[in-house]
Amino acid sequence: MDNQFLGYLRPNGMAGARNYVLVLPVNRSLNFIASNLARMLNNYKHFEIPADGGRPQKDRLTIARTMVGLINNPNVGGILLLAVKPKFGYKDMSSDYFTDAAEQSGKPWRSVILSECGGSYNMLGEALRVGRELSLEVSKFRRQPCGLNQLSVAVKCGMSDPTSGLIGNPTVGYMFDRVVNAGGSAFFSETTEIIGAEQILSKRGATPEIAQALIDAAYYWEEKAKSTGEDIRAINPIPSNIAAGLTTLEEKSLGAISKSGTTPIQGVLQYGEQPNGKGLYFVDAWMSSLSLPLCFTACGASIVMYQMGGGDMADTYPMMPAINPTIVSPWMYVTGNKHTYKKSPDNIDYDSSAALDGQATLEEVGEGLLNHILAIASGTLTKMETYNYQEQLEVLMEGPFL
Amino acid sequence: MVFKALKLNPKDNVATAMEPIEKGGEVQVSFGTETQTIYTVEEIPFGFKIAVQEIQKTTPIFKYGEIIGIASKDIHIGEIAHIHNVEGARGRGDIEGGKK
Repeated sequence: MDNQFLGYLRPNGMAGARNYVLVLPVNRSLNFIASNLARMLNNYKHFEIPADGGRPQKDRLTIARTMVGLINNPNVGGILLLAVKPKFGYKDMSSDYFTDAAEQSGKPWRSVILSECGGSYNMLGEALRVGRELSLEVSKFRRQPCGLNQLSVAVKCGMSDPTSGLIGNPTVGYMFDRVVNAGGSAFFSETTEIIGAEQILSKRGATPEIAQALIDAAYYWEEKAKSTGEDIRAINPIPSNIAAGLTTLEEKSLGAISKSGTTPIQGVLQYGEQPNGKGLYFVDAWMSSLSLPLCFTACGASIVMYQMGGGDMADTYPMMPAINPTIVSPWMYVTGNKHTYKKSPDNIDYDSSAALDGQATLEEVGEGLLNHILAIASGTLTKMETYNYQEQLEVLMEGPFL
Repeated sequence: MVFKALKLNPKDNVATAMEPIEKGGEVQVSFGTETQTIYTVEEIPFGFKIAVQEIQKTTPIFKYGEIIGIASKDIHIGEIAHIHNVEGARGRGDIEGGKK
């Protein structure tokens, strides 16, 4: 196979692992219709807009970026937009803003507008009719051989234990380097986790501006936490980290950062922001499993993974932190802890612990992870993709509430 | 038996124990295909750091190729490097009021 996968090539040059139709309500009152369409139509995914009223502009822009990002994600083959009226709503979130985005994506798309259908009941029927047409059109796309330069990946780490910084994260970092060095894209985030190592991370910024933006991002969240009485620096590493062998904050943060590999950071993105070019990007965002994976999907990640340590998982058939919080992108769990893997092989896609036992080198488990990702990108399901469930997701919004 | 520890970067002067190691144990420290043998002078729990070079007081501890702290005492080969002999530059959770 030689670092190729069979993907769906999209007009922007990136390749998707999946070929979904996305139904996107542009106005919140249409979430009901969107969710029912996704239920009634095969191969459909949907996003429900969070409450958009009573928010500062910054937060509305975040919602808008997330929606445009979903439209452009390589796993989306076509888009069905639902709107109340043409040119309706806040300027930065009006119907035509999203129809423009759909048009610019170069993908097949349709829109169904309530005021032009004769009301919501008619709209449901019309959307069914139009949605089925769109479905057939999207079904004509075929997988074709694609290279790593057309792949985009993202990682979040959590439930960290000593294996995380030792093998788990470095394995992902190795894979990131392989994808980026071949011309693809990779995303990492969790700004609060870089505190203590932001000076080190900033040296990987491709320009002085990016270096400064990394430091500014860490400082912003640290100060924000302090204003509520939380001093991230002073309380870290926490007692369980120290008991597990982590000595300093720098060491803990470097362990987290090792998941990003070694390539230069091409930019600091906002939540849901798509980069202008390819390469490795840092996304300034919150670490939550119900928020960050959606963000990565909107940034453009075709495949998103959660690198886990161990933590307090139940011994028998534990539940994972989240089920498919990415809507359209395959979501996978990876670990460097063989005990964690043994507890949940039905949920965890890749185990890099062979490098911990000395049975394999980091390079070997890194290549193994890459090969597994290429299989997922070509159509193999992740363990979690066997579930049909939509988590309650949280677009990252800072407020205040107005 | 030979125990295993991993260095994450050629610059590192500590390696991380990949399993619990007994006092006086023979440890194969590997980085990629490079290996080095050392002997521990105390028990090392899984995930803890062992000095693989002599580290003088006030000199840096390197892990991931970066400085993760400064030795607050001389650290000898085969000793644990942890909160009792390493100080972070950005503050440590076990010191009240953290920030230096």
